[in-house]
Amino acid sequence: MSSKSFPAVQTVDVTKVYRSGHIDYPALKGISLKIEKGELVSIVGPSGSGKSTLLNLIGALDPPTSGRIIIDGIDLRKLNEDNLAVLRNQKIGFVYQTFNLIQRLTAIENVEMPLIARGVSEKVRRSRSLAMLNAVGLGRFANKRPTELSGGEQQRVAIARALVTRPALVLGDEPTGNVDSKTTKEILSYIVQVNKTLGTTFLLVTHNPEVANMSRRVITVKDGLIEKDQHLQRMDSYAGL
Amino acid sequence: MQMRASDVFKLAFRALRARKTRSFLTILGIIIGTAIILALVASSNGLSTGIQGQVGKIGANTLTVSSAGQFFGGSSSGTQSYELSQQDVSTIKSFQGVSDVIPYYSQRGTISYGGNSISGELIGIDVSTLSVMYKGLSLYSGSLPDSYDPSAAVVGYSIAFPTGSSNQLTLNQMISVTLGGSTSGSLTFLAKGIFSAYGSVLFSNIDETIFISLQSAQLLLKTQYFSGLYVITNSAGDVASVQTAIETYYGTQVRVMNAGSMVSSITSITSELSVFLEAIGGVSLFVAAVGIINTMFVSVMERTREIGIMKALGYKSKQIMALFLAEASLSGVIGGIAGTMLGYVLAFMIGGYLPLSGGFGGGPPGSSGSSGSSVTAPVFTSELIVFSLLYPIGIAVLAGLYPAWRASRMNAVVALKYE
Repeated sequence: MSSKSFPAVQTVDVTKVYRSGHIDYPALKGISLKIEKGELVSIVGPSGSGKSTLLNLIGALDPPTSGRIIIDGIDLRKLNEDNLAVLRNQKIGFVYQTFNLIQRLTAIENVEMPLIARGVSEKVRRSRSLAMLNAVGLGRFANKRPTELSGGEQQRVAIARALVTRPALVLGDEPTGNVDSKTTKEILSYIVQVNKTLGTTFLLVTHNPEVANMSRRVITVKDGLIEKDQHLQRMDSYAGL
Repeated sequence: MQMRASDVFKLAFRALRARKTRSFLTILGIIIGTAIILALVASSNGLSTGIQGQVGKIGANTLTVSSAGQFFGGSSSGTQSYELSQQDVSTIKSFQGVSDVIPYYSQRGTISYGGNSISGELIGIDVSTLSVMYKGLSLYSGSLPDSYDPSAAVVGYSIAFPTGSSNQLTLNQMISVTLGGSTSGSLTFLAKGIFSAYGSVLFSNIDETIFISLQSAQLLLKTQYFSGLYVITNSAGDVASVQTAIETYYGTQVRVMNAGSMVSSITSITSELSVFLEAIGGVSLFVAAVGIINTMFVSVMERTREIGIMKALGYKSKQIMALFLAEASLSGVIGGIAGTMLGYVLAFMIGGYLPLSGGFGGGPPGSSGSSGSSVTAPVFTSELIVFSLLYPIGIAVLAGLYPAWRASRMNAVVALKYE
C-alpha cells in the first residue's frame, strides 16, 4: 500500500536519448521534479519539447537513459518487466488524445480490460465497470462499441477504464485534444471532481490553456528541460465543480 | 496477479470472430490437412486389416506349393517349368511335420447359365477338404458333389446370386464353363450345391469360384499335372521347417508360399503405402501451419496499437503471448474437430476405390460378379482419432509461437504510436 510520506512521482536528473542510426536525439536533458499525492499538474510546452516522452517514462512504459524515476516510493530501476506491468496495472491509469479503445470490444469490455489482466472474476469486474461507466454518465452505452460513440463519449469510456482500477496516478496525454469545447469542460470538471474526492494525482500533458488553467501547478518543458514550474490559484469556475 | 484461462480464451475467441473470413480460411487449411491425414491413414489401415483378414482365412499351418512358372493360378504355357504330379504329393507327404497334401487344379474362365455370364475360376479339388482349407466355409443349399460324378459341381455364392441380375441359379441347374488359356471348348456341370457368401482369400474369390472334384478336373482338363498343392503341417510351428525342406528338395522348380510370409510381405507394402499417405497429409498440415503463421503475423501487425494499449493497461508480456497463442490453439481445436469429422466421412468415400472388393489379384478389376458389399471399410483406432484431434492443435500452437512472441516483445511506446 502507498504510504503518505512518499511523493506520488519523483524524477531525479532524468534523461532520454533516442538513437536513429548513428545520430543521437536527446529528448530529455535532465528533468528533476517532485509531485505530491493529490496534486493536479499540467505539463505544457511546444511540440517536440519532450513532454510526452516524460509522461511515457513516468508511466513506466519506457526506461530513461539515465536518472531515477520513483513512483510512490518505488524506484522503477529495481523492477523487472513483469513488475513494471504490475505497477502500471495497479498504480497508473492512462488517458490518451486518441482514446486508444479496442474497437471490437464494447464500452464496458474496454473498461474491464485492466481488471481482466488482474484475474478479477467476471461478475465483480462487470459491476465495477458498470459503476464506473455510470459515474462518467455512460451507463446506458455500456454495450455500444467505440465506433457507435462520439469522440467525447469515447474519451469518457477511456477515463472510466483509467479509473476502474482506482489508480493513485492518472497520466493524460492531451486528453482533450480530440474533443469539442463543451466536452472538454465536462471532462475537466470530472477530473477535478475525482481529484478532490478520491485524492487521485493527475499529470496532464496539454496544449490547451483551459486545462492548464484548472491545474494548481503548471510545469513548462522546453528543449528537454524544465523551463518553469508555477504554482497557481485554481480558477474559480472549476473550484466549485 | 494472474489472468484467468477462461478470460484468455474468451478474448482470443473474440479476436478470431472479429476477423471471420480470415479466421475461417486459416482454419479451413487445418481442416483439410487433418481430414486428409485421417482419411488416408484410416483407409490404409482398412486395406491392411482387410488383407490380413483374407490371409487369416487360410490357416497359419497351410503352405501353398506351385510350379515356379505359375503364380496367379492361370495355366502355364511354358513347357520348361516343373509340373507337379501325384509323385510330388507322396514325396511332400513324407516330409517331417506334414499332415496332409491337397492337390488342386485351377483355371480361370467364364461361367454361364440362364443368361448370366460371370468371370470366375474353376477349381478341381477334393471338395471334402474345402471346409478345412477355408475356415468357416459352409453350404448355403444342396450338398457337396460326389467325387466320382464328373458333371457335379458346387458353386460360390456370387455365381448363384449375381448382383444386378434377377436370374438366380437353382440346384441341379446346368452351368457351362468356357475356360481361358490353352484349353478350348466349354464344359458342362450340374450345380449340386451352393456355398454361403464367404469373400476373398488371397488370390481367389471363393464367391466367384466353381468347385469340382479332383478326379473330374483331371478327366476334363486331360492332364495329370496339378496347378498346385496345399500342404497342411501338423502345427503352425512346422511351417518354416517344412517350407525349408520343400525348397531344399525342389530348389527353384517350385514356389512355396505360406500365409505368414504373405502377411508380412503385404503388410510391408501397405505400411509403405500408409507412410506415403501420411506424408501427403503431413505436407498439407505443414502448408496449413504456414497459413497460420502468415495470418498471425498480419494479425499482430494490425493489432500493434492494441498490443501497446494492453501493455499500458498492465498486461505482462507473457499474458499478451498467451492471448495470441490461445488464438492459434483455438484455430487448431476448431480445425482439428471439423477436420476429424470431415476425414471420417472422407475415409468411407475413399474406401470404395481401394482394390480389395474383387479379391486381391483374384480377378480383373470390376469383374461382373464382384459384389458391391465388400468395400474396404476404413479402420479408425482410438489412437488415430486422438492423434487427429491433438496433432492440429500442436501444429497450430507451434505455428503461433513466433508471431505471439513477436507481439509480446513489442515496445509499448512505439506500439502506441503505430497508425
